[in-house]
Amino acid sequence: APAAKMAALSGWGAVPWRRGWLPALQLVRRGSKAVTRHWKAMHFQRQKLMAVTEYLAPRPAVPPRCLPRPRETRQEDNGYARLLRRQVEEVFRDNRLIAVCQYNPMPGEDVVMMRHYLRKHNIEVKFFLNEIVRPVLSQSKYKNLLPLFVERNILLVSQETKVKEMLRVLKGVPQINLLGACIDDTILSRKGVENFARLPPLEAAQGQTVGALALLPSQTSSLLQGGSAHLAALLDRHIQRLQTGDTGDTGSTAEPGPAQSSGDH
Amino acid sequence: GPGGLVVPRAGLKQYLQPPDYSGIVFPEKTKLKFMDKVPSVPKVRREPRRLRDIRGPSQEATDFTQGQYGILALGGGYLHWGHFEMMRLTIGRSMNPKTMFAIWRVPAPSKPVTRKSLGHRMGGGKGPIDHYVTAVKTGRLVVEVGGHCEFGEVKPFLTQVAKKLPFPAIPISRDSLQKMREEEEEKRLNNQNPWTFERVVTGNMLGMRKYLSPYDLRLKGRYWGKFFLKHRV
Repeated sequence: APAAKMAALSGWGAVPWRRGWLPALQLVRRGSKAVTRHWKAMHFQRQKLMAVTEYLAPRPAVPPRCLPRPRETRQEDNGYARLLRRQVEEVFRDNRLIAVCQYNPMPGEDVVMMRHYLRKHNIEVKFFLNEIVRPVLSQSKYKNLLPLFVERNILLVSQETKVKEMLRVLKGVPQINLLGACIDDTILSRKGVENFARLPPLEAAQGQTVGALALLPSQTSSLLQGGSAHLAALLDRHIQRLQTGDTGDTGSTAEPGPAQSSGDH
Repeated sequence: GPGGLVVPRAGLKQYLQPPDYSGIVFPEKTKLKFMDKVPSVPKVRREPRRLRDIRGPSQEATDFTQGQYGILALGGGYLHWGHFEMMRLTIGRSMNPKTMFAIWRVPAPSKPVTRKSLGHRMGGGKGPIDHYVTAVKTGRLVVEVGGHCEFGEVKPFLTQVAKKLPFPAIPISRDSLQKMREEEEEKRLNNQNPWTFERVVTGNMLGMRKYLSPYDLRLKGRYWGKFFLKHRV
C-alpha cells in the first residue's frame, strides 16, 4: 500500500522521498482545502458516522393524534364580553316575558317595522351572541333554556305579558319563528305560549278562582243553618196543621205535608 | 359538515391591543450607512487566504442590539461591495425612514482578495489585490431593522435581500431567534439516538478521529466547510 501511494503521488511532484515521510502532513497536500465553495466529498467513514449519528425523534407509546385534542385555554375576558354578559343577566332579571325566536335573515326595513310594532306593545327586541348567552345561562337557573340558544336567534323581552299581541305581530313576519318562552320564570314551549295566549285575562281568571273558592263557604252557612231551618219549617207546618186540623180534621193531608217538606230538604 | 354548506357565523370580535413601541431608541441616521469598496487605508501587503474565517459558528454579532428584526446568516461566506450596495438600496427603498431604522452588523470590507489576470498559467507569484470582502460566519446577524413596525411588514423585503446573499440567510425577529434556539436545545435533549457525533469524537470511538479533523471536536458535526447542517442535532 505505501508503495502504491508513493507511485500515485510521485506523478504529482516529488513527494515521498524514500527516507521517511509523514502521511499526516503529506496527505494534506492532496485534494482540496478544508473550506471549499463546493460541497466537499466526505470520506466514506465520515459519511457512515454522519448516518449513524443522525437525530432520532422521540416516539411516544401513544401517538399524539390518538389522544384527545388538548383544550385550548380560554383567553382572558375582555371588558366588552363582561359588559355583554352583565346586560344579559339584567335582561333575564328585569323582564317577565322573555321569548326566544329563530331569526332568519330578513330585509332591514322589515326588521325595523317589526321592532316598531312590538315597541308599541312595550316589547323590546334584543340581539345577543350565543357565545355570551350560553355561559351566563348555564350558571343561572335558566339551564333548560340552553338548547334554544343554537344558531341565529333573537330575544323578545317585555315587562308585561302581552303574548297575544306578540303572536299577532310574529304571525305577520314569516322569518321569525317562536321557539320557546320564559314567562314569569316558567318555561313554555311554542304550544304552551299559544295556550297561554288563549287564557282569559287576569281579572276574569281571578274572578273565576274567587267564585270557585267561595262556592264551598257559601254552602257552609246554608249547611249550618239547614238543621234549624228544617226544624222551623216543621214547626210552622205543624202549627198550620193544628190550625187546619181544628177546622178540617184530615190526618192524611197533614202527614204527606211534613214528608214532602223533609223530602225537599 | 360533510356535504353541507357552511353558513358563516360571526362571533364576538376580539380587539388586539396595539403593539407597544416604548423601549425603542432610534439611531441618528435611520438609513443604512454607505460602505466603502476599499478601506480608507488600503492594504499594501497581500494577505493569505485564511478560509477559517468562514468556517464554524460565529462568535460575534449573534444577538440583537438595537433593532427587533434582522437577517441571520445560516452559512459562511464573503460579502463584497456589490452585496452591500444591494442590501443598502433594497432596504432603503422598502423601509420608511421616519418610522423604521436599519443598522449594519457587519464591518465594511477589509479583507483583501487577490485575483490573477485571466488566461495566464500558474506561477509568477501571488496576484494583485482585486477587491475587498468581509467574512461572515454562520449564526451572525448581517443587518438589523427596527422601529414602529411589525415583522409582517419587514419580512418581505428582508427575504428578498436574504435570497440574494452568497450564503443561506433568513429574516428573523427576536422572538423567532429565541424560539429557534429553544427548539435546537429541545432537539438536542430529546434525541433518542444514544450515539452522537460529539460523543464519538470526544471518545475517539472506533478510531474515527483518523477520518475527522481536530476542528470537528468543536464543530460537532453541524458544520462542514462553510456549510451549516441545520438538520443535524
